[in-house]
Amino acid sequence: MKKVWVILKREYLTRVKNKTFIWMTILGPVLIAVFYGAIFLVAARDAGDKTPKNILYSDESGFFRGRLDTIMNFHFTPAMVNESENLKKVSSGEFNAYMIIEDHDLSRIDSVKWVSRKTMSILQQEKVSSWLSDKVYMSRLQGLGIRQGVIDSLRPKTSISTIEIDESGLMKNSSSGLKSGVGMAAAFIIYLFIFLYGSMVMRSAIEEKTSRIVEVIVSSVKPFQMMLGKILGVALVGLTQFATWVLLSMILIISITTIFGSNVLSQAQTQNLPVGGPMKQQIPMENDMFMAFYNLPHLEIVLIFLVFFLLGFLLYSSMFAAIGAAVSQETDVQQFMFPISLPLIFGFVIAQTSVFQDPNGPMATIFSLIPFTSPIVMVVRSPFGVPPIELMLSISLLLLTFIIFVWMTGRIYRVGILMYGKKPTWKQLGKWIFMKN
Amino acid sequence: MQIITNNRILGYSATRSLGYSFTRLLGYSVTRLLHLPVPTFPYFRLVAYILEAENLVKTFGTTKAADHISLQIPEQSIYGLLGPNGAGKTTFIRMATTITQPDSGIIKFKGQRLHEEHALHMGYMPEERGLYKKMSVIDQLLFFAEIKGMKRSLAKEEAVKWLTRLDMKSWAGKKLEELSKGMAQKVQFLCTIIHRPEFIILDEPFSGFDPVNADLIKDLILELHTQGASILFSTHRMDNVEELCEFLCIINHGKMVLNGESGNIRRRMFKNQYQAGYLEDKNFSNNGFEPISTERLQDGRVIYTFYLEDNKDRERLLQSCVAEGGLVLFTEDLPTIHQIFVDTVTAES
Repeated sequence: MKKVWVILKREYLTRVKNKTFIWMTILGPVLIAVFYGAIFLVAARDAGDKTPKNILYSDESGFFRGRLDTIMNFHFTPAMVNESENLKKVSSGEFNAYMIIEDHDLSRIDSVKWVSRKTMSILQQEKVSSWLSDKVYMSRLQGLGIRQGVIDSLRPKTSISTIEIDESGLMKNSSSGLKSGVGMAAAFIIYLFIFLYGSMVMRSAIEEKTSRIVEVIVSSVKPFQMMLGKILGVALVGLTQFATWVLLSMILIISITTIFGSNVLSQAQTQNLPVGGPMKQQIPMENDMFMAFYNLPHLEIVLIFLVFFLLGFLLYSSMFAAIGAAVSQETDVQQFMFPISLPLIFGFVIAQTSVFQDPNGPMATIFSLIPFTSPIVMVVRSPFGVPPIELMLSISLLLLTFIIFVWMTGRIYRVGILMYGKKPTWKQLGKWIFMKN
Repeated sequence: MQIITNNRILGYSATRSLGYSFTRLLGYSVTRLLHLPVPTFPYFRLVAYILEAENLVKTFGTTKAADHISLQIPEQSIYGLLGPNGAGKTTFIRMATTITQPDSGIIKFKGQRLHEEHALHMGYMPEERGLYKKMSVIDQLLFFAEIKGMKRSLAKEEAVKWLTRLDMKSWAGKKLEELSKGMAQKVQFLCTIIHRPEFIILDEPFSGFDPVNADLIKDLILELHTQGASILFSTHRMDNVEELCEFLCIINHGKMVLNGESGNIRRRMFKNQYQAGYLEDKNFSNNGFEPISTERLQDGRVIYTFYLEDNKDRERLLQSCVAEGGLVLFTEDLPTIHQIFVDTVTAES
């Protein structure tokens, strides 16, 4: 055990002392904030693009003749008969786009062509298409003799604000969108760390192998101890980085709240009223994202995150270590990396489909129990609340798989680090597991 | 006139190995007298071995990397393990350092069955060198000392001592990648011996060293040896073997082909040949001895080699060589380890 500790210490200290690591740890949250800020800024600017656009249009159906004029910032001008003339006007930049409405019976809305120098953004596309179909829809209804007032009353605007109630009757603002967001973010962090730090373990094994340090080390440390020390050391580096990020973000958040006042927080606390009294007061009607966030099961999410983060990392990085030991150069790893990353990516697919549809449904439950996908799926489920029995089962399965895998990968590692030359096949790796010393 | 004798180290090793033969004989006769089996009763083993191998077999697929290898490495000796590339040297060393296990056979370390703990008393420098590029010299030394179970404080003391000794103290904080190749190799050597191993295993220790550094390392090895360390060399550089090793063993295709005290081996391989050197050509027409070969050296000497049916004739040969006039060299032509190595390996294949 003492040797595992010596290896762990080396792996940890050399990484933590590294300048890139220190900068990434400090600047990480800032960079992420800047990155997201930039994305939102660009998106917001795109959505709020109010510069006038001149659109040329030809309408084969004749329906829109005289009806198309100016919608928001789009100014429509009827096109010439000469098709090439129209296109030239767009390509020369005189007009922003040329819209051709082809369909005669207007039953299909996708039969509109849009020619422009720059591809239309999704937002613009949505806007124009909904506007066109709306026009057709309205005119059909009006054609049936229905008054505008009736039409408006047939299309009520509804929005659902979700409120949770538990057995004691306590009600809380909640938002499944927010929960999905939090779950996905947590799962994404796990995914990122597994790959970032898993490949760190792999590279470390490759470095030791190619520089032949390994021969000196294995003469005094068992390969298994070496691998374990390596995995644990790197896991600790990951935790250190993550903890620093959380700490820095908390400092950021706290300093922001003290600057902008803290009445939002106290409001959230008083929102959780017990049952009793007039209904109107009881139900927290205000659909506040902040309160929904405040009402999340924080402790559970954090604990589940930490457990699955650690176990998931250990499981995957043991595989990464074995690969690092098996190959002789870094370019050979691709063939092995892909099958390993598949379950994690699959976990995300499951998370985005089944978990979002029904967080406690059979698909979500099954894949949050399977050890290879559970670090992703279970974490996505965690904000929705997971039955403790499922949680225990999932953790035990993951732990058990880790133990089995660390044994197997340890065997591969042991043989691999002393093998040089051609990159091994999967079959050979399998053989190495059962090879005697 | 100059008569070439064994050089200093060989002379030294010859007396040492004589001592070994004597004690070994004594140990053997005592146990024989008491009717005790020799190896099983350690109290009567007067000759101590740092490492013993009995019938080691190790196969990789169909190739036998070790085919019934048995050898004994006496304590505080310098032992040379020779063999061409792919002969099984590294395989043997890996078994001796507990990196791999033999398929069959026994390895003993100081009389005990080899155990992982024993590896802590060994220092192994592989042929292919390597250290952590991004780690400082001092951290590197401490790491290697610590994985060998040395206390950090003691390791620090030792590291500082060695670095001062090699005038490298100012380099202690430098990363390995900033060092020159020779410097890095010195660090590598220090990493091997920092934990004061009893048994030092060096695989091609001088490869890649410039002559100055090679001499430095050689002196360090001899110093550690006189301080009591046992040293196993694995090499195919014969000049080093000749100079340093008291015992040697030649393996080829996983089999041991020759084994013993290096002085003895050279004597055993003696083919009754003598050499006489002059500064000018001689014809030996009237003395009854006919040289079997003539060699002109760069320095102007002419060396004649004679073969004698009977070694008793060597005084007569010397006299007649003296009678030729101008003799500058007369010596028995003991085969060099290099010749022995090449002869045995080529005879094998």
